[in-house]
Amino acid sequence: MEQESVRHHPHHSFIWLGGLRTLFLVLWCAVIGAFSGIAALVSELAEYGSGHASGAGMLVAVIIGALLLFILVVAVLCFGIRWVQWRHFWYEFDPAEFSIFSGVISKKKTHVPYTRVQSVDQKASLIQRILGLCVVSIDTAGGASNKAITIPYVTKSQAEELRNQLYMRKAQLTGVVGTANAAAAVTGVAPASAGNILDGASDFANSATGLFDAPGSFQQAPSFEYGLTNKELLFTGLFNNTSFMVVVVGLVAFFGQILQGLVDVVPNSDAVLESTVENMVAREGALMAGGIAIGGFVAICLVIWALSAVGTMLKFGGFKARRRGDRIEVERGILQHQFQGVAMDRVQSVIISQSFVRRIMGYCEISLGKIDAASGSNSEAEGGNKDGTAGKVVVHPFVKKSECARIISGLLPEFSDMPTQVTPVAKVALRRAVIRRTLWQGAGFWIIVFAALCQGGMHLAAMLSDDPELWDMLFIFDYGAAFLYAAGVVCMIVNCIGAVLWARESSFAVNRRFMQVSNGGIGRESITFPRQKIQFGCTRSNPFQRRAHTVTLRATIAAGIGGTTISLIDAREEAGAAWLQWLEPRR
Amino acid sequence: MRPMPTSVLDPRIKKVWRINDAIWITIAALCVVLPLGIAALATEDSLVFLLAVIAAIAAVALYVLCLGVLPPIRYQRWRYQLTEDYLEIALGIVWRKRFIIPFIRVQNTDTRQGPIMRAFGLASVTVATAAGEHVIPGLDVAQAEAVRDKAAELARLAREDV
Repeated sequence: MEQESVRHHPHHSFIWLGGLRTLFLVLWCAVIGAFSGIAALVSELAEYGSGHASGAGMLVAVIIGALLLFILVVAVLCFGIRWVQWRHFWYEFDPAEFSIFSGVISKKKTHVPYTRVQSVDQKASLIQRILGLCVVSIDTAGGASNKAITIPYVTKSQAEELRNQLYMRKAQLTGVVGTANAAAAVTGVAPASAGNILDGASDFANSATGLFDAPGSFQQAPSFEYGLTNKELLFTGLFNNTSFMVVVVGLVAFFGQILQGLVDVVPNSDAVLESTVENMVAREGALMAGGIAIGGFVAICLVIWALSAVGTMLKFGGFKARRRGDRIEVERGILQHQFQGVAMDRVQSVIISQSFVRRIMGYCEISLGKIDAASGSNSEAEGGNKDGTAGKVVVHPFVKKSECARIISGLLPEFSDMPTQVTPVAKVALRRAVIRRTLWQGAGFWIIVFAALCQGGMHLAAMLSDDPELWDMLFIFDYGAAFLYAAGVVCMIVNCIGAVLWARESSFAVNRRFMQVSNGGIGRESITFPRQKIQFGCTRSNPFQRRAHTVTLRATIAAGIGGTTISLIDAREEAGAAWLQWLEPRR
Repeated sequence: MRPMPTSVLDPRIKKVWRINDAIWITIAALCVVLPLGIAALATEDSLVFLLAVIAAIAAVALYVLCLGVLPPIRYQRWRYQLTEDYLEIALGIVWRKRFIIPFIRVQNTDTRQGPIMRAFGLASVTVATAAGEHVIPGLDVAQAEAVRDKAAELARLAREDV
């Protein structure tokens, strides 16, 4: 056992890298602030210099000297302050808790009991990666109110050491040390995983330990590990949400343009007055312009799509998910490296989701639900919450449906006993879903209502006022309304298809240990969670449901910030009652 | 079908609900009716006068609904039951809900008392889990303490059981 209460400081780049950052910021502000002054000075100098050649040289030298001195003073200040901060920033491993000390004038101490440590994640920007550094953030199991703790500028091996220490001490205190590891050791052999083109780059970046890092300490071997194949990585890039939206918007705009072109080409009443030749020319011109516009738009869409695909591929490059002891570790990112670890007993749910594209291709995304703390004061820690991934760890972004079971049984053997006996939603759910989704919850219906109201109002106004200009305006309005009607009908059809699919595919299933809720539709999502993790359950019914003898099941688990409710609308009444019975704890 | 839970709230809770609702409706009605009424008197515009009358009627309708009609039905529908392992709650008039909250998941329980409740000698019991809390709104103070203690005890026992 090492000596207790050793002060661990962050790496010395805390001083100069942080100092450099502050220095650049200060200089940037100074330049912006003094910009007009400098400009005036330069012009003055130019005037002065044309007269007195020798004096000008002196003056320039003096000014440059003063500038250098100023920069030097600022730099010394920045680095000095960072140095003092560094001196007063350290962490210790106390017998019962992990302590972080910071602050020069107002001192701050943060104590984290080891048993409360939930996950230790690390992140590194490009510069930090080159230097072999990272930012460590420690999540605690306290729910939404407490923040994640971040320790900036530690070397990767130091982070590894920190993580090992925290988990080891936690395991010692909770007394579950042997069992999980032994179980993992039995499953033993890590299967060879398929690689992809970006793995090489990532491995190189990982193996080159960076300028200031020593080779990492020994770790328990992972019992299961996998990466992404070339195909999976490419698909992940091509069909991420952003690029899918771009393609959809592009298609809509494309058809809009074609429609516009058609409308332009159809000879209207004004054109009859003009000569046929002119008319022809105008038509050609309109077609040409339309073509160029469409071409340009498609090109822009393609470029955006390609860029977003490359961005996502870099984000998921070097993706590795592994099971190590009782933890699941996921790391990814070529430029910005990210490492997430979750203790097995903190995994709240397994989410298998299929977006529209994934569904057509027979692929899906696997992610784990976990409790998230509200992100810390450090801005670097907020990335996860911004892109809507709060409370979720993606363990595979794009995997064949048939491979799912293998991955889950390897990564989370605890979840391999998923329930199979599904209880579908009631028959009446189809009718109710179609009405709900196409009429009062669907956008299409309300678009049509809105368009009809607008059109009716305009016609009424035109009839009442007898203003000829208003009558002309009506044509434009009618075109607009017709477009809205068409969009609304398309929307309603899509909603209706979604509703039918939902009613056919949605179900819930329970067995002794797990509950699984599947909600179908255009995209599909199936969530499995242990009975132990259900905080409370609820059935709900409105008067219509009571007449149709159905209820909505709502199970609330603690994943995310402040809990997540998983619901299934319109299960049969008896199924709901049986589910409540299942929910009662048994002795 | 699953039988309804057996325990009911203290009947005095109806009065608490009535007073609470009366306060809120009065505040809202004053905010809407008063300016409209003043405007109607000042401008003598028939449209504004009409609006003021509609607002007043709506306020009266709300009073009748929330003070006369709803509390007995709400009271009738609000049931709870403490068993060895879980707390069951049934509530709701239009949207009827049945909650099952296993005591293993309960993190803390406490009693709360607002000024109106205190005047009637009532208290509410709050049962919190990691994903939200549930309130049993109106119980006699002594009974609330007993329920709180029982819930806490059962939660502790359930935890030891796991």
